[in-house]
Amino acid sequence: MTPYAFLAEVLSEKYDVDPTTISPEATLTELGLDSLTVVELLFDVEDEFEIEIPEERATFETLAEAAALVEELLRAKGA
Amino acid sequence: MRGRRVFVTGLGFVSPHGEDPAAIFERLFLGESAIRTVRTGTPEMGADVLLASIDFEPGDRIGKADRLLMARAAQLAVVATRNALEDSGLMTRGRGPEEAAVYMGCGLGGAEILQESYRTYSARQSRRVRPTTIPLIMASGPASQVSMSFGIRGPAHTYSIACASSSVAIGEAFRSIRDGYIDVVLAGGAEAMLNDGSVAAWQGLGVLAKEHADGAGASCRPFDLERTGLVLGEGAATLILESEDRAMARGAHLLVEIVGFGASSDAHKLTEPSVDGQERAIRNALEDAGLTAEDVGYINVHATGTPTGDPVEIEAIKRAFGPAAQAVAISSTKSMHGHLVGASGALECGITALALDKRRIPPTANLTVADPACDLDCVPGVGRDAPDLEVALSNSFAFGGSNATLVLRRA
Repeated sequence: MTPYAFLAEVLSEKYDVDPTTISPEATLTELGLDSLTVVELLFDVEDEFEIEIPEERATFETLAEAAALVEELLRAKGA
Repeated sequence: MRGRRVFVTGLGFVSPHGEDPAAIFERLFLGESAIRTVRTGTPEMGADVLLASIDFEPGDRIGKADRLLMARAAQLAVVATRNALEDSGLMTRGRGPEEAAVYMGCGLGGAEILQESYRTYSARQSRRVRPTTIPLIMASGPASQVSMSFGIRGPAHTYSIACASSSVAIGEAFRSIRDGYIDVVLAGGAEAMLNDGSVAAWQGLGVLAKEHADGAGASCRPFDLERTGLVLGEGAATLILESEDRAMARGAHLLVEIVGFGASSDAHKLTEPSVDGQERAIRNALEDAGLTAEDVGYINVHATGTPTGDPVEIEAIKRAFGPAAQAVAISSTKSMHGHLVGASGALECGITALALDKRRIPPTANLTVADPACDLDCVPGVGRDAPDLEVALSNSFAFGGSNATLVLRRA
């Protein structure tokens, strides 16, 4: 599963976000998450892709930016 | 001390006997136990334990995303409070009265969340503990989540006083309204500590009942010669307390009046109760209410079914009541719903309110051969009608020696 698809799935399944509002341009704040639930979401992402998201890199706003960060960390892990 | 009158105008339960107050009361009146044998823990080191557990399903009453931020105790509190707000007629489009306060009792908070974090640390040898762990294990979770769920913006206080937690929460709510600090309080308690780590700790304490020959439901036997201990339960109960003026102005249904609260400490032992401390709580409560022992028709007692605890409470009642002790009906409904620890005071206060309203006294189940040391009228087996019932007490006595007694009168 791609990072974006995983984010979209967790948001709708676990955080009950209306799937029609989920898009690459949507920000996590717009989708109803706050600072605590964002950290909880990243915890799931780290578990799923077996990566560590450095705190200083968690500056994304949109889903596309978050997915791009995960892809970059995955490439770095594979390298 | 006299002040404003305080009434209970709504009642909400999530209990081992269900959520509907009338149905719960009916089952208790008939002496029906909700205690069963439950397999807890992991396959390797689990155990069959007597519990009054709940098959709890919040459904659409708590949103999926909100549930992620609530331990089980907080979820139980939110649903019980929802039930109470609906019962009181104070719910408008999912919101409660903004100016109200929340006073909740809770003993352990998010016990199952704490267990999971330690499991991660110890069993999985990992420091990757979930980010939501700390805000979920706080004992103040139930009060905070009730405030957030229903838009309640007055003080949200938590009383963590072991088995007396929610009796004190209700008592302090009563005082706050009587003394003019606030007009309406959502008062109650929640407890969910039936996770296997907590249950094992209770087993270690050596106070849990053994299964009786007549089955799981017969195992909690307050005042009975064959009693062997208490049975843990879980759940939540919320009472809506309102000043007389506010309740009358909106034409609220008055279920019962709260007229007194007494508290004391044993200053004695951590887990060993004292007659003196309990007697003082009962006396303080009656004095607070401006009533005498002769006025009281029923006591919903703390008695958990332990060999040592039950006779101490009997003796305390005898000393506080004098000759009137021989005339008062007393019962331990814990014989049927188990010991809900931080929620037990609120559940039992609610049951006492229903007993006054219906003028029907619930029984002490499984009381077949009374301990000679427990020689008061303990209403064995099934409930009884009490056409003259006007005033009742609800006792809660905690580990640590904290004692609380509430005095209720028919509205």
